[in-house]
Amino acid sequence: MIETVQIDQALTNIQKLTANIETVIRGKRMQIQFILTALLAKGHILMEDNPGTGKTVMAKTLAQSISGGDGEHGVNFKRIQFTPDLLPMDLIGSHIFDDVQKEFIFKKGPLFCNVLLADEINRASPKVQSALLECMAEHQITMGDVTYPLEKLFFTIATQNPVEMEGTYPLPAAQLDRFFLKIHFGYVDEETELNIYKDYLGIQSNLEHVQQVLSMEEILFLQDEAEKVYMHDEIIAAVRNIVWDTRKHADIVLGASTRSGITFLKCLKAFALVNGRTFVTEDDPQNITSAVLDHRLIYRNKEAKQKALANILDKELNRLSKLKIGG
Amino acid sequence: IGKIHSWKKVIAQSVLLVLPTAAVGFYMLWNVNSYYEILQNDWLMQGLYFASGMALSTLFYAYRFRFISTAAILFLFYFIAYKVIGNVTFGEFDAFFASVQFLIFSVLFSLGWIAGFGFSRSRYFTIFWSIFLLALQIIVVSKTTAINANALISAFAPFLVYAFYIIYTAELIRNMNEEGKGFFWFLSKRMLGFAFVIIAMLLGIFTVFQKDFKAIEKEWGGSEAKYDKNGSNSERMTKENKDGSLSNKNEMRMTGSLNKGKRLVFVAKLDNFFNDGKTPNPLYFTAYYYTKFDTLTQTFETDSSMPSNDLFKPDPSKIPLYFAKTDSSVIKNTGATKYRKVVNADVYKVLLSPSEYLAPSTAYYCQTIGVPNDYKDQYKSAYRAKMWVSDLNSAYFIYNPAGNEMLETFQEQRFSKLREIRNFDGLDAKFKSYYTFMPGDDDYKRIAALGKKITADAKTPIDKMLAIRDYFLSKDEFGQPLFQYSDNPGIPGIPSASKLNYFLFENRKGYCAYYAGATLFLLRSLGIPSRIAAGFLTVDRSSKNPGWYWFYEDQAHAWVQVYFPGYGWIDFDTTIPDVNTQQASQPDQTPPLDMQQVYLVADGEVLNVDTVAKQVRMNVSNLLYHDKNYSTDSAEELMIDASLATVSTDTGTVRLSAVKKGMHITAASYAEVLKNLNATAEDNMVSIFKKIPKPVPVDEIKIIEKDEAKKQQKKNVNELSEPIDWLRTLWITLIAVAALVFIVFASPSIIWQVLNTRAENTSDAKRAAFNKYRAVMYYLNQLGYARDNKGPQQYALFIDNKFGTQLNNFSNIYQKLKYSSASLTEREQLMVNEFYKPFIQQIRKQVSFKTRFSRFLNIYNTIHYFNQPKINKA
Repeated sequence: MIETVQIDQALTNIQKLTANIETVIRGKRMQIQFILTALLAKGHILMEDNPGTGKTVMAKTLAQSISGGDGEHGVNFKRIQFTPDLLPMDLIGSHIFDDVQKEFIFKKGPLFCNVLLADEINRASPKVQSALLECMAEHQITMGDVTYPLEKLFFTIATQNPVEMEGTYPLPAAQLDRFFLKIHFGYVDEETELNIYKDYLGIQSNLEHVQQVLSMEEILFLQDEAEKVYMHDEIIAAVRNIVWDTRKHADIVLGASTRSGITFLKCLKAFALVNGRTFVTEDDPQNITSAVLDHRLIYRNKEAKQKALANILDKELNRLSKLKIGG
Repeated sequence: IGKIHSWKKVIAQSVLLVLPTAAVGFYMLWNVNSYYEILQNDWLMQGLYFASGMALSTLFYAYRFRFISTAAILFLFYFIAYKVIGNVTFGEFDAFFASVQFLIFSVLFSLGWIAGFGFSRSRYFTIFWSIFLLALQIIVVSKTTAINANALISAFAPFLVYAFYIIYTAELIRNMNEEGKGFFWFLSKRMLGFAFVIIAMLLGIFTVFQKDFKAIEKEWGGSEAKYDKNGSNSERMTKENKDGSLSNKNEMRMTGSLNKGKRLVFVAKLDNFFNDGKTPNPLYFTAYYYTKFDTLTQTFETDSSMPSNDLFKPDPSKIPLYFAKTDSSVIKNTGATKYRKVVNADVYKVLLSPSEYLAPSTAYYCQTIGVPNDYKDQYKSAYRAKMWVSDLNSAYFIYNPAGNEMLETFQEQRFSKLREIRNFDGLDAKFKSYYTFMPGDDDYKRIAALGKKITADAKTPIDKMLAIRDYFLSKDEFGQPLFQYSDNPGIPGIPSASKLNYFLFENRKGYCAYYAGATLFLLRSLGIPSRIAAGFLTVDRSSKNPGWYWFYEDQAHAWVQVYFPGYGWIDFDTTIPDVNTQQASQPDQTPPLDMQQVYLVADGEVLNVDTVAKQVRMNVSNLLYHDKNYSTDSAEELMIDASLATVSTDTGTVRLSAVKKGMHITAASYAEVLKNLNATAEDNMVSIFKKIPKPVPVDEIKIIEKDEAKKQQKKNVNELSEPIDWLRTLWITLIAVAALVFIVFASPSIIWQVLNTRAENTSDAKRAAFNKYRAVMYYLNQLGYARDNKGPQQYALFIDNKFGTQLNNFSNIYQKLKYSSASLTEREQLMVNEFYKPFIQQIRKQVSFKTRFSRFLNIYNTIHYFNQPKINKA
């Protein structure tokens, strides 16, 4: 028996968080929703866009909105700028000799945090990339004999720059798979842009004084609640159909895996909750399918990239929308 | 090599262009084949050459091949094949034959090849192709058919329709976006529209000119004459049956030309002599009376419902040999009492159909008789007829051997007797009005006026008859005969124009049908009861065998009979002699003179046949013995000795082995042994069989065909020759097309009505919500606001934005109902219940009626609604 979601409390919390982030990040409701979806689904997110669209600010704001243990500062937020000469040690940490204790002690790297912003992840060498992605997947770090668990709340926001591709190491499909969602941050619309220019000072001060609206416990609670979102059998069937269709489609070389399907389900639940619902509807696959699946698929050509998944989704939504209900 | 056209397009080309063109090709080749001997009537194969060339080329040029180079290869092929044929075949004739065949093949195949290329690649090809076909048809028609309006219309109408069709369709296919959805839908819609327009056009033409077309149809199709070997617009007075025998026809038309053969049809012995007892008085042999006239088709027809039916029409092939059939009611029906006598006639059939019965009027008796052995090869069957003949009747009327005193006296005598009839006052009114019926058209008033004019001086009916005859024989102001006989009189240019008027007032040339028809209406206009009789004219050519007459194909004839109360129907032939081919008398041969006396005739069913001993055992149900008839209900067995017998059927002599168990046969015996074995009054069949020798020798066995087999055959023929009612076919097609169009336009509204009703009348809460949601989606979709790939919420917001409605609220509740396990709150339930009607009203208010109406005619939206997206599977 699935426990009912404590919807009112969850909704309030989400709204608080969203509103708080929106004081800084304007006109990006959809992106904020995606990020929260990834957060609530206990996953990670990859953002791809040109520099200067607000990716870093976004991550920072999110981290600062969640209060850490001390109640004053936000949760532990770390930012790593990935470069080709970065080493895994720089992420994980290293053993150093403690003069006082006369023994090697483990100096934790920036990965031991709550919210991690991995900037320009595709600039680091594959070695570093895989170290990071392993941590993301397993939620722990093993150094020698000792296993160090990561924080309970560990959320990675990675960014990737689609321009200036020279000297980069594009993430292989298997590693992209670790990210629950991949989104395009995108530019804001004209009107919002004008507002931002008019109020950039206000935004600056907002960023410096981001309120901590939720505690870490509350976030963990929301993550638990997201698991309980009700999912109709037809929606599960739809996820299955979409996954299968990606494997059958003529223009898709590599279809979605079963793990992708499970991720898809988790994301759907989280997204429904983010949208204030205790059940998944047709709107949820409509909105997140592309973010969840697009980066996991390999297409035959560029044209197919634009059409194939939309085509599959269209077919499935058409089926769902015509489902008969009632006797 | 890449493709130029998609498969869709190639299929469309094959079905819509190649197929109709192949059909036209077949038709044209079939047509041409009947005129040009070199083609050797192999139109099916030739049509296939053409069609295969076209089909192959259409497929071939769907790929990126160049025409010039590929055509060169094709011609190289031809050349090699030609050389091979030249070297392989032996003998001059074979080589010639094979190379002609190959030439035909290569020409037709190449033509098809070019056509296929044109359909596939060239935009303007269809125009040239249509012109080419029309030109070809012009050449064919001008070389083979008499050029007149009718011929041209029926020869070119199909080609014109084809030309319109092919140009339109080719352009349609060319301009189609084959990538887009609904390619075939688009195509069928256009074709439907085209069919609608063309059919409506044809229907308009057909309806306005119905009369003309009916006449053309009658003239060109419908009747058997069309399938004559000569195939052209000509008429025969006789028809050729399937087995090659001849019969008279039960209708007669007036056409542009008469087709006459020269073959011997039958020979007859007629015991009718003038008072001197020596001079034969020939009588016309009648087959039918044409008492009715179809004004629309200008056809003289038989009428089984004519008053006082005096036509005796037995089927001699059904009467067992030597048995007789009598119908004395015809004598009563003629109402003739004065100067009548019974006359015998023996008819020996050559080409005449076995089932045909011809005899001078008024025949009432038919007995089948055997053909003497020596003449069996020559004559197929024979019968004896008895007639109630008038002394005043004679074949001599317009054919009057000049200077024959006796004949002239006879004519004067009979005319003076007939002059006693001064009017027809005492006649039965129904009878009189039937036989004096005239159509009411102006055309016939003109004939009536002529009748009045030429008979102004004549007082009695016979004098009027003579005046009409004299009018046909009269000379014009230049001393030339006013009327001429012609087998090829031609017909008026307008198909529906009266042919009789054309004959009487303009052309003045014609054959018997014209003279008889004109005389009939001249007489009827004067109130003289008359009818047309059809059969054979009798010419006395032989002085060797008086009373024997020979009937050739060209003697098939039609003439007029006039009714004189008390004297009955008297023949009057007004067809003037043909001056050009004046009775090129045909040699008469020896008549079958030695009739044998028949002693025994047994009629019954075969029990078994012994072909070795030449004996037949049969069950006799009817027996003729020394001219006395015995019959029994329980058949008696009889053994016959067939060693000397000739076995015959309706169509000729056969072997004894053709006689099978269960057949109906008649066996006749002329055996001398039976001559003195006379039967006494007490004898019955059993006692006679005891008297006669066993087995009894017979000389003749006739097999009588079963009725059903014949009927079946006849039925088949009838079914085949049933003319197609084009007008009705067109109407039905038009209605079907219109119904299709209506369905196409009406279906969106009908679907909406169904969905709307369901949305309003569902009790189950969940189902009600579903029906309402579906109705709303359909309605909005039909109005042009398709959901496309928007999610439910996105779409609802889009609509709310547009119309200021509350669809999003409803949509959310609906989604909750659909996907959530939670139940609805009261408020939500209320929302579901009260959302639908106001919502539709709201939309209706904001979309004008005109827009709604036009959008609801648009079936594209409906198709779009029901269309399921498909994924492109690997």
